[in-house]
Amino acid sequence: MSRPSPMEESEDLSHGETLRVLGRALRFVGPFRGRFAVKVGLMLLSLLPMLMLPWPVKIIIDNVIEGRPIHDPIRPYPDLIAPLMNSLAGYSPYELLFIVIGFQMTLFLVIGAFGTAGSEGESAEGYLASGYDTASRTENEANAGFSLTGGLLGLFDFRWTMRLTQALNHHYRTRLFGRIQTLPMTAFDDERIGDAVYRVMYDTPTITNACYRILLTPITAPLHILLTVTILGSLYGDRPILVYSALAFLPIAFFATLPLAGAVRRMSGQSRKAGATATSTAEEGMSNILAVQSLGGEANQRDRYEADSWDSFSRYRDVFRLGIYTVLIGGIPAVALGSYAYFVAIDGVIAGELSRGDFGLLTTYFFHVVASAQMLGSLWFSVQASAAGLHRVFFLMDMPGEIDDPNAGELGPVSDCIEIDRVDFAYPDGTTVLKNIGLRAQVGQMIAFVGPAGAGKTTLAYLLPRFVAPSAGQVRIDGTDIAGVSLKSLRDQIAFVFQETILFDASIEDNIRMGRADATDAAVREAAQLAGASDFIEHLPQGYATPLGRAGGKLSVGQRQRISLARALVRDARILILDEPTSALDPETESRFVETLRALSRDRIVVVIAHRLSTVRAADEILFIEAGEIRERGRHAELLAIPDGRYRRFVELQSGADPTISKRHDP
Amino acid sequence: MAPGTIRNEKAKPKPMASATPNNELQGLSHLGDGGADDRLRMRLIFRILVRCLALLVPVRKHVLLLFTGFGTLSLLLLPLGLLFVDTLWTRVLQGNPMLEIEAEFFRVPIETATRAESFGPELRRLVAERLVIWAAILSVALAPLFIGLYYYQIWILQRVNQKLRVDLLSHLQSLSLRFHSDTTVGDAVYRLTQDSAMVTQLVQVLVLTPLTAIPQFIYSVVVIGLFAPALGLILFGVVIPSLIAGAWFSQRMRTRFRGARETNAALTGRIQETLAGIKVIKAYGAESAEAISFGRASLKAFDAAFRARNLYAVYSMSMFWLFGSVALFVTALGTVEVMQQTELAATALGFTIWNLGLYNYFKARLGGSVESLKDVFRTWGRAQDIAIGLDRVFEVMDHAPEISDRPDAIRLEGVHKDIRFSKVGFSYQNDRPVLSDVNLTARVGTITALVGPTGSGKSTLMALLLRLFDPSSGKIEIDGVALPNFQVESLREMVSIALQENVLFGNTVRENIRFANPRASDQQVREAARIACANDFIEELPDGFDTLLGERGSKLSSGQRQRLSIARAVLKDTPILILDEPTAALDAATEQRVLQSLGQWGQGRAVFLITHRLSTIRQADQIVFLENGTVAETGSHDTLMKMPGGAYRALVKAERLAAEAAAR
Repeated sequence: MSRPSPMEESEDLSHGETLRVLGRALRFVGPFRGRFAVKVGLMLLSLLPMLMLPWPVKIIIDNVIEGRPIHDPIRPYPDLIAPLMNSLAGYSPYELLFIVIGFQMTLFLVIGAFGTAGSEGESAEGYLASGYDTASRTENEANAGFSLTGGLLGLFDFRWTMRLTQALNHHYRTRLFGRIQTLPMTAFDDERIGDAVYRVMYDTPTITNACYRILLTPITAPLHILLTVTILGSLYGDRPILVYSALAFLPIAFFATLPLAGAVRRMSGQSRKAGATATSTAEEGMSNILAVQSLGGEANQRDRYEADSWDSFSRYRDVFRLGIYTVLIGGIPAVALGSYAYFVAIDGVIAGELSRGDFGLLTTYFFHVVASAQMLGSLWFSVQASAAGLHRVFFLMDMPGEIDDPNAGELGPVSDCIEIDRVDFAYPDGTTVLKNIGLRAQVGQMIAFVGPAGAGKTTLAYLLPRFVAPSAGQVRIDGTDIAGVSLKSLRDQIAFVFQETILFDASIEDNIRMGRADATDAAVREAAQLAGASDFIEHLPQGYATPLGRAGGKLSVGQRQRISLARALVRDARILILDEPTSALDPETESRFVETLRALSRDRIVVVIAHRLSTVRAADEILFIEAGEIRERGRHAELLAIPDGRYRRFVELQSGADPTISKRHDP
Repeated sequence: MAPGTIRNEKAKPKPMASATPNNELQGLSHLGDGGADDRLRMRLIFRILVRCLALLVPVRKHVLLLFTGFGTLSLLLLPLGLLFVDTLWTRVLQGNPMLEIEAEFFRVPIETATRAESFGPELRRLVAERLVIWAAILSVALAPLFIGLYYYQIWILQRVNQKLRVDLLSHLQSLSLRFHSDTTVGDAVYRLTQDSAMVTQLVQVLVLTPLTAIPQFIYSVVVIGLFAPALGLILFGVVIPSLIAGAWFSQRMRTRFRGARETNAALTGRIQETLAGIKVIKAYGAESAEAISFGRASLKAFDAAFRARNLYAVYSMSMFWLFGSVALFVTALGTVEVMQQTELAATALGFTIWNLGLYNYFKARLGGSVESLKDVFRTWGRAQDIAIGLDRVFEVMDHAPEISDRPDAIRLEGVHKDIRFSKVGFSYQNDRPVLSDVNLTARVGTITALVGPTGSGKSTLMALLLRLFDPSSGKIEIDGVALPNFQVESLREMVSIALQENVLFGNTVRENIRFANPRASDQQVREAARIACANDFIEELPDGFDTLLGERGSKLSSGQRQRLSIARAVLKDTPILILDEPTAALDAATEQRVLQSLGQWGQGRAVFLITHRLSTIRQADQIVFLENGTVAETGSHDTLMKMPGGAYRALVKAERLAAEAAAR
């Protein structure tokens, strides 16, 4: 359990790599540029009313209650506000109150706030409850909708944002899913399915935070600061210290978070990996529930899941702790600075230079600037966790998949032959599986691969649809090297029946139709007939419409095998490859099937891999494969005639094992 | 908790139309259309939330500690907070003389501070200094405590979540295969990850928010009522329309929340299924079709999430509009009171008329009441989602497993005599039976071969022996005692099986062999591998027994996987051994070796051999020929061969002819 498989990426990203990852994520925003621009516009629009919010309160306190006349403020109004204020000059306090409340009501409707206190405003958001682990938080991220304001504007902004987020996420995860499908089959040998599911569902939403932070914050935060500082400056210009101390929060936040950026990135990655492992364990146990129950492995599986799950929880806490550290580190200078600023403001009130209304205003604006400054300062830190998730996604996207050569031709209907020309095959880790394979099969022929288990027969069969590529040599169909044709056109010509039957959660009909999407009902039934499946299907209450349930769990193994045979047959491909197609069939069904194969091979090339002589005997050519090499080839009778031949010995063992055959051939 | 043990006590009666076992999945929210009727009503939601409190029981000590901590800190801060706010706003900023307590706290001379004339700018500045410094120190000192408590809270809730996850997994494992074949793996994973996570918000929803927000609201209303009863009444009056509006929204929200969860679970399921079947998808060029399906499912999930969250946002904003406008209105009225310097209704608070200081306090209380209402209703909105998530967990947990122990079930300690099937019948659906009237007896120390065409019910018969299902009719007895009398776990401990589909897990070879018997020693593992004739190839693997197998054990050939399966069955060392097509993937030579080895090892056990390969039958003492779900013939090979027109004889002849032809 210690050696990482090739699919596990390293968890450590350098800062440079992080930047590249983030840059790459941003490129996904491309198609949504316009929408993003609108979002920026909405955010900017939201800033203005927010800056106006403190004023009604100030007017009420200073001018309504305390009766101070409008045109005689303690401090002159900022240029932006002055004209508005002056237009209110002539009204009595009661009238002012009426106007102000009316204004607040309108504001309340439009932006969902009538004052600056928390209780006087609410921004539109749709964040639902989530748990204390990475995965359960992702749905909020994938559907992030937020606004700086509330009210009608806020709701519109919120909806706009959520749709934008979803569009971005959808784009991203469909891209990932598409890439995963192109990964070669061998990739799924080592890769755990649950991990892939985790990446598609729970790692992709990291793009939300990354893009929003990087694109929106650097625009809105400085603007916000600028606006606020301008107002602050014009109001309280002789105490610039307030402005400077607010701005100082930027470097504080920056330096408090920078040292931990790398750590949070690393730990987020580990937290995700742990979550993926737990998901994998659960997935494996659930999809093999029959085996788990039969073998009594429940306790075993449960213990594994328990350990994996708690591990993912622990790692989540690790990341959380890092956040705490930044708060603690940056907290002290922040509190000091904030206290100082507060004191300066209080002093101003005591000295009579500020009214109490001004004090409220001042402190509010101060915290606006602080918030934006902190957001800017901790920007790098706040995208690290996202970078970890993005890295996991890109890693999978970048894995070499089965991609067609851009110059790939198309393979037409097969009319002649398949040739395998001096082919070797070895796994990436060096294990040789096939050596110097050469064969030729004509349309109208049925060839069989026979040999002991593990000899490489299945791998050899995988060469034809290019599930694996040869390390040396060529595979040709109708004289064309299959490496140079598009995979789709190649595989369209081949119907492959795997050794392990795989069916899907759909009706029998739909499963069979997977072989050929445009197959008519008649074709489906005919294929089922040929496969020997129509009998039992017709006896089912819903017949062909019977839902198979997960992986066809309600049928016996033999029945499932016959459905998968029907699926291959409906494809009507010129090349038919079957890997142990009769292993679960009884002798009677098997012999009928072999006859069918013979009939089919008249205008096709049929390749069969089998142990059982009854299946193999009918072949036009038998290739006896042992330890990756073709030892003997020829017709059944020819091979038997070889004195001391390997095939012969193989056959003898088979029939010798039959208790019913005595040397005297006694019926 | 041991698998397969008692769950039936917790079965919640389901209000379903036809409550036959085969309709067990009606109402289970997996259909992905969000249309499952809203079975939840308010009180059921409360029941769910309350049921979750039971999950807090194992961690109650921690919860108590946590609350004590929070409580203490809050109690400490409350009076301090009031003190600070009053000092700042009323005394320092406004210039009113201080109260004695305040003067004492800030260590300023009481006589000067409490008298208007002497409470001048210098003194105010001094108090301000001290106040700010005190506030700063307290923040720095107490913040870590609060943070620490919050961290503690997270740890506790993770523990609760963990328990729920493991319990759910455990229960899923005990459910019948019928259940599993009708649900997707992805849906189960979604429930384990996303739905169960909702339990962490319980403390928030059930305890914290109600306990803090509701009292705060009442307090605020009372205080404002003391200032001016009319205002208090108006404020209180907003509760009723809020509740009505809340209820109206709640049901709609619940439907949409369920839809969002179902579609996302369905999406997860789709991804899992595609990846599990990727071989076939590649072989049949179905990638683009799958990609389109995925895209559709993804959009469907997003649409459902949009509808859910949008409604939630509209709900929150609407509620806020409701009480916000009332609050604004009340503010206006309050302002008027201040302008008119009206007398207070209650003078007991130390003020007699409305003034600015009071006004600020009034506004603060008003704000507080709005905040608490906001809190309550926002939490209530989230609670709908939480309840739906938890309902999805509980509906699985409440699903009574088909097979569960009777209260008086005894342990099966050993198998000494025989296993008897009497008139056993079984069908998956209420239709064509898979088995009918099966009678067979297998004595310990014998090998019984089950032979017959595919679909004749051989594997199903063995599944019944394992009690993966119960027979529809008839009974199965071990040593004369019917199976339901035994604890399921103990029964399965007495049986080991090598399955027809050789399922291996993404683990090391050693761990795979040890799957059913995790405590076996390495020596025993080796021995089991030897008996299964697997140790030769295992030793040739790069890491030997420690070689990591890919998912589904895909690095090995089928013959190698089969032998590992056999080794796994052997290691369990049980009195009953079932081999389901044990040599289907083996070539003749290997098959011979394995069968011989097993034959020796099998002495003294009851061995069932399912096969339709005659070469495997050599060692059987008894052959049971199944056809169409019934026993056509029983007997030894010789007996059956003597039966004129016998099915077994015909089969043997057919295969013999084929083999002879092959040998020629």
